[in-house]
Amino acid sequence: MPDIGVISSTIVAGVLLGGILALTALGLSIVLGVMRLVNLAHGDFLVVGAYAGLFFLQFTGIDPLLGVPVVAVFVGVLALPVYRLLLAPLADRGAEARMMTMFAVSIILENAFVLAFSADTRSIARDYATVALSLGPVTFPLIYLIGFVISVSLILTVHWLVSATAFGRDLRASAVDAEAAATLGVDVKRVQMLTFSLGAACAGVGGTLIGAAFQFGPSSGGAYLLNSLAVVVLGGLGSVIGTLAGGIALGALQSIGGLTLGDGYRDLVGMALFLLVLAFRPDGFLARGRT
Amino acid sequence: MKHHIGKSLAATIVLASATLALGISVASADDIVIGASLPLSGPLAGFGSFQQWGYKRAVDEINKAGGIAINGTKQQIKLIIRDDKTDPNATASNTETLISRDRVVAMLGSCTPALVNAGALVSERAKKPMVTGCDPLEAFKSVRKWNYVWDLFFHEPELGAAQFKAMADLGAKTNKKLAIWHDNGPDGQVVGGKIWPALAKEFGYEVVQNAEFPIDNSQFTSIIGEAKSKGAEVVLVDAITPQAIAIRKQMASAGYSPKVLNIEKGAEPVQFAEALGKLSDGILVGGYWDPTFPYPGAADLAKAFESETKLTSSQHIADSYAAAQILLDAITAAGSTDPEKINTAIAKTDKSYVVGPVKFDENHTAKLPIVSLQWQGGKTAIVWPKAAQTGNFMFPLP
Repeated sequence: MPDIGVISSTIVAGVLLGGILALTALGLSIVLGVMRLVNLAHGDFLVVGAYAGLFFLQFTGIDPLLGVPVVAVFVGVLALPVYRLLLAPLADRGAEARMMTMFAVSIILENAFVLAFSADTRSIARDYATVALSLGPVTFPLIYLIGFVISVSLILTVHWLVSATAFGRDLRASAVDAEAAATLGVDVKRVQMLTFSLGAACAGVGGTLIGAAFQFGPSSGGAYLLNSLAVVVLGGLGSVIGTLAGGIALGALQSIGGLTLGDGYRDLVGMALFLLVLAFRPDGFLARGRT
Repeated sequence: MKHHIGKSLAATIVLASATLALGISVASADDIVIGASLPLSGPLAGFGSFQQWGYKRAVDEINKAGGIAINGTKQQIKLIIRDDKTDPNATASNTETLISRDRVVAMLGSCTPALVNAGALVSERAKKPMVTGCDPLEAFKSVRKWNYVWDLFFHEPELGAAQFKAMADLGAKTNKKLAIWHDNGPDGQVVGGKIWPALAKEFGYEVVQNAEFPIDNSQFTSIIGEAKSKGAEVVLVDAITPQAIAIRKQMASAGYSPKVLNIEKGAEPVQFAEALGKLSDGILVGGYWDPTFPYPGAADLAKAFESETKLTSSQHIADSYAAAQILLDAITAAGSTDPEKINTAIAKTDKSYVVGPVKFDENHTAKLPIVSLQWQGGKTAIVWPKAAQTGNFMFPLP
């Protein structure tokens, strides 16, 4: 039985990590909520963000955490032609065609990463990413705390955007009933395009955090997509605050799973939860309404 | 709208196909075709890129010298390399394709037991000779009695003992509490699950933790926390590169700094040190080759790699280069592209290559000598045995 220090440190680290997981899943969640699209290239957008953060640091010398707004805009803008050229023409063709298109985009991106950046494993090396903080018996990584603060701030900002602005009103209307929203004058295609771009921008920020806290390579996207799907299902499809709660819950439960069963079983715990929630609470354990 | 769907999907499929097809070439009828499936992408890409260079260099050298005489006529060698994306299933299917469609006369191996053995089994079944490195000998021998596959690499018991011998010879004073973390791949289970625990007892270490994890695991918080709480001052790890990087970063961010940290496998390629920066300093890794080794062409090989690629060399250029040379020497000796004759010629190999003298035993294995390397300022230095030292032992871990 691990001592109390190990148990408390693991759980605190899990909760903080959960905040970062929530941010990595946020883009997937809002795109799913508004566009009814499971974006299978979401993990690759995260990887784009990680590379963008790395090269931003290398070319400007500015800390990538200070540069996350630039990374967000960069990845968000990159997503616009993907929507305009590949997704918009398929708007009336059901979810399957758009999902398969994004699957193809995922494969192309992964191969493009290899061609452009080699298949090497990378990491954004910053001193603060390897500093431990101690509060009594509890020790946790500083980068997890930084990532948690950034993630929660961004998620709350997106929540405000969705719940208290004109764009958010259009977004919510499009999410509930796109046809009805269109008849009321909402430019649904524009809302969807901006939502897709916003989702990619959030993924970009999440990717930079992942790059600083962990390691990444061209094929890292798949694992983060799986975790993001689990977070979205736990928190409720399309729910911004639910995504935050889902991320924290997944991080904490995976940590407890790692503590009791071994670190190798973290993903098993996550996927078991994913299936249980899908079976018994398909709208997510927190979902009562969207956003 | 149907046109739109067609255009979108067609564009993406064409682009994907074009990207996937890159690097695959076609041989002419007069070439002697040999093949290899390598991890050029995926977690083991750090190894595959070095192997690719080693294989190509050996082939380029013999082609520049005029090729190999088959029935009195000089023929060029065509090397076809396919990317297995670090997936054993892809290695097997690539090997099938190379044999059945590309008509290779012989094969060169991939990297790590999971990939090498997957391709080797296909070669063995098709009776096409394969020469490989990058497959620890016990893991290679455990698969089956080989008839057409030949392996030159290190022997796990020697690699396992190197760290303990190095700590003893170099006077590394620790509390002798040892944590072992290893992946659940074939070599991880052999080295971390069997060899290290047995040697720990022999060298007077107490194993306070032995943790196994899936090969693609990314979170090590609990494992690290447990080792830290148990006061392990020596940590031995067997993991591939992405996991090795994750482990080192997570150890630092958990405030855990043992006196000795040895990471087998994953700490070998230079991308390990590039991703970690200063955090790689002081980490030990077993090595089977260094440009300072007194074997023909060793120093020149590293210089050639570094001048061509502008990258720091890796030991994987040496075993791959030697494996290709052994195969090409065998084809030359056979004077034929008949797989049986080539296989017989490989069995007779008895020559000094860039990795040292190579002579295969009855298990089709040739053992390479082991040294202990340590990352220092982004480069590796030999720290053990003392007679071969190219740098002072950095102790304790910074």
